[in-house]
Amino acid sequence: MIKVNNKPVINEIALTTYKANKKRNILIIFAIFLSTFLIASIISVGTSYWKTTMQRQLYTSGIDYDIALTEPEDAQIKKARTLEEIKYAGLLVKCAVLEKYQQKMLDKTRLYFADNTCFDKMVLPALETFTGTYPTKENEILLSSRTLGNMGIKKPIKGMGLKLSYYTLEEGTDEKIFEKEFILCGWYTDYTGKNKGYISEEFYKKSNVKPTDFTQGSLKIKLKQPLYTEKDILSLQNTLNLNNRQIIEADTSIISYFIKITAGLAGILFMVFASSCLFIYNTLYISVTKDIRYYGQLKTIGMTSVQLKKLINRQAAWNSLAGIPAGLAVAIMLSKIIIPKIISIIDYSYNANNTVPLNIWAFLIAGIFAMIVNKYSSYKPAKIAADCSPVEALNYTGISARPGKSKRERAGIFAMAVQNIFRNKKQAFVIFLSFVTAISVYLCTSIYIRANDAKYILNEVLDYDIRFQNETTLEEEKPLFTKEKTEQLKKLPGIKSVRTVSSTEAVVPYQEETFGRYFKELYSTRYFPDADYKSDMEKYKKNPENGLFTSRFIGIDEAGFEYLNKNIGNILDKNDFEAGRTAVTVRTFTEGDSGMTGKTMYFRLPGGLKPEKEYSVKIAAVASLQSNPASFAGGIAPEIIVSEKFAEKLLGETYIEAVLAEYKEPYNEVTEEEAISVFDGISGISSESRLRNYNEMKSTENKAKVLGNSISIIMAILAILNYLDMMASNVHSRSQELATLESIGMTSKQAKKMLGTEGISYAVISIIASLAAGIPLSYAVFNGINLYAGVSYSIPWGRNIVFFAIILIICIIIPVTIYHKIQKTGLSTRLRQNQ
Amino acid sequence: MDILETRNLKKYYKTGNNGITVKALDGIDLSIKKGEFLSITGTSGSGKTTLLHMLGGLDTPTSGSIYVDGKDISNLDKDELAIFRRRKIGFVFQNYNLLPLMNVYENIVLPVRLDGIKPDKVFIDKIITALGLPDKKYFMPCQLSGGQQQRVALARALAAKPSIILADEPTGNLDSRTSLDVLGLIKTCAAQFGQTIAMITHNEEIAQMAGRIIRLEDGRICGGGCTND
Repeated sequence: MIKVNNKPVINEIALTTYKANKKRNILIIFAIFLSTFLIASIISVGTSYWKTTMQRQLYTSGIDYDIALTEPEDAQIKKARTLEEIKYAGLLVKCAVLEKYQQKMLDKTRLYFADNTCFDKMVLPALETFTGTYPTKENEILLSSRTLGNMGIKKPIKGMGLKLSYYTLEEGTDEKIFEKEFILCGWYTDYTGKNKGYISEEFYKKSNVKPTDFTQGSLKIKLKQPLYTEKDILSLQNTLNLNNRQIIEADTSIISYFIKITAGLAGILFMVFASSCLFIYNTLYISVTKDIRYYGQLKTIGMTSVQLKKLINRQAAWNSLAGIPAGLAVAIMLSKIIIPKIISIIDYSYNANNTVPLNIWAFLIAGIFAMIVNKYSSYKPAKIAADCSPVEALNYTGISARPGKSKRERAGIFAMAVQNIFRNKKQAFVIFLSFVTAISVYLCTSIYIRANDAKYILNEVLDYDIRFQNETTLEEEKPLFTKEKTEQLKKLPGIKSVRTVSSTEAVVPYQEETFGRYFKELYSTRYFPDADYKSDMEKYKKNPENGLFTSRFIGIDEAGFEYLNKNIGNILDKNDFEAGRTAVTVRTFTEGDSGMTGKTMYFRLPGGLKPEKEYSVKIAAVASLQSNPASFAGGIAPEIIVSEKFAEKLLGETYIEAVLAEYKEPYNEVTEEEAISVFDGISGISSESRLRNYNEMKSTENKAKVLGNSISIIMAILAILNYLDMMASNVHSRSQELATLESIGMTSKQAKKMLGTEGISYAVISIIASLAAGIPLSYAVFNGINLYAGVSYSIPWGRNIVFFAIILIICIIIPVTIYHKIQKTGLSTRLRQNQ
Repeated sequence: MDILETRNLKKYYKTGNNGITVKALDGIDLSIKKGEFLSITGTSGSGKTTLLHMLGGLDTPTSGSIYVDGKDISNLDKDELAIFRRRKIGFVFQNYNLLPLMNVYENIVLPVRLDGIKPDKVFIDKIITALGLPDKKYFMPCQLSGGQQQRVALARALAAKPSIILADEPTGNLDSRTSLDVLGLIKTCAAQFGQTIAMITHNEEIAQMAGRIIRLEDGRICGGGCTND
């Protein structure tokens, strides 16, 4: 075939028709722009959000490592550092515990020694802020800001003297208290929520604590390949030649966890891509009939398929050229200007420069993807036109029906609306798929972002706003929480409820039937490596009063019962519990109930009204240590939780170990200050609160919140604009049909009613379908990506309902508005366009 | 008695960017009697369709008046015109303008249902039978031939028992035999239901079937007005 120079004429036709279809092209460019923007910004902002949440998780753990070898020996440390699979290994030894600072009891403030590798490579990356240096001299100390806060030091100064009481963890010594003037050489912030500090190598050596001392030393290991299997750990165990009580602390489910996370993220990413793909495809597909007729017309006058392809190529390229750069530009603007600005407004101290680093590949992917989808979707009508004869193409309606099948005799407004929605089943399916995908992605992201919200996490993890603890409980047993003080706390205007936890020592005589299995299981754990079970049990039988075997008798009030019962799965009978007929025991280090449930246990209360009397109670359930509202432990016998009423009956006046309060408005600073002031000046009371934890997390939280909400808003905007674009395209493509309806007497009101009904139906059907598909999907994504144990799945209904309401409004308003605009062109003109 | 009357009817358009005024209708005075069958002929662009659209309330005049049954419709708003159309006018277009999603029956009864009235099934069936469509009642438009579609469009025009049928080249897309069939049906139905017909056509032979022919040129009536009877 001789090549014909038809480039100018193709260009001319392409340009003329492009100009003539101005409104439709604007909608297509808009769809391309939004899709490009969506992919580029979601990848960019999403990566930053992911990094921020991972960083927060690192700050929460306080140290960055993959696995840890407990009680390491020198030879093992040396060997570990030569192994190919180990990137580096750092030694961390718990040496001492701070007791007191200027009459202030310090709650379990542990002092650690970290060697250079451990501190520089593992601890430092997990600190949000660090000022000063690591201790080098014997009297130097590095403390967490939280510990300094507990000491009452709000503005620490490097070199300041701190006179502290402490005891070392040297094996065999019985917590002998030392006093020493330490020099503060630095301070740091992490999100561990623990009071701790670091001391020098010199101090560590003098403390006589050995890395091999049980539970004190740990070799933190960073692996070259962080995804390891159980086999890898077993092989490492063999190589390092572990002794009996040593273990390698490792999470062998890490690979499945990684797969779950990857699958979850890939799922969301796939849906983002699918959503933007459908967005472009739909906008083009919705006017497919018109395009096919037009291409049919061109074919009738002799345009070949190759020429048609060229024409479509040009128009698709123009749309891409207009939509893609604009989408990328707005995504860059959002990542580099808008989001950093918002973060810096919220948090002045935040360095917003590198909030959202530009991912060139993300922008490339977004651009190329939008271009390909646009081109493919543009070909669709040409392909249909090519598959039929020019005349068939000219008369194409997109509606196929079998004769005599539609024996309907309806023609009302509602029936017409329904027919219009499903006029082209494939098109309806694609439109609904697009809506459902967009809404589902929004649902998934909103659920995930909520699950990563610091307040939400803290609410799930801590069941109180503030917890006051009597640190003198096990020793001096000062009754610091008097009834007056508790009442004073209750009367504060911002306080919603106050719970108290009382405790006292209980003697539990040896009971083979009830606790035999539990003790056997307990002694088989690594925490009792050298213990002689038989001899210990003999001692126990003879002398149950020995502190090694005693228990704590814990009393909880009604509010406390509700929390406990909820924690253990609502299995308790309140009446039996309140009356003292049943109790809950607490297991430590073991799994399951060790056969205790349903059995009767006996105990004595040395501090009770009748110290010699043996009481009995039925064990209704066995709780884990996390569910224990009390903090202080007794000996090896399981703790007993009973109702406060029952405790008062046996003890007379109970000894309050902790007071927990909930605020009417959680995280309210005024209430917190007022609550703290109630116990202010009373030495021996420590406190922990959600607000304090939240404030420590604030910096990353602000960033995570802005990034997370940005993702959520982008998804919401896309979903909403998807509806907007689709509704607008839909009415535009039917303008001539609407003109026909008007010509036979349909009033504007009737037409608007019909379009409004269609809009509502689109919205309602897609919302219901999205919930049906999105909830299970978001649940799967949540389970895959959830980083925090204890955080449960929940749907943020508030923002979703607002989102659905906006969609509904858009679906009603947009078609009606577009129709109103169309009507500005006279009916006669519109009918002529049809001819 | 005149059922349709126009007085000095004008319709002017401004075209594109150069702003030239096109006189689509330039002072039309026309009267149509009840039961009359009028043919409107003329070259392309002479203003035939504009005149028909004005008579049917699809377009509004630049000046002048249109009286239907003695009522001036030139000042009615959009919705009043829509109600006027579905009660008084039955349109038949060259390209049928059937709604592709509705079957034959639904298309026919649509103007009646839009008026909130339950279709008179006996009357509708009578029209369907008269137009030879009983076996096509539940067919979709895309399953019908051009002639059949035009018959459905005619049935739709008759369904609301309008006093006037306005047909814009109803046979333009049909072969000569079908054209004569459709025209015969229009005439028969109009006579049967006492309706007035105004029809645009290019075809001299078809125009001759009307009782009166008018010829438009440059927006003016330049000939005709004679009755064939």
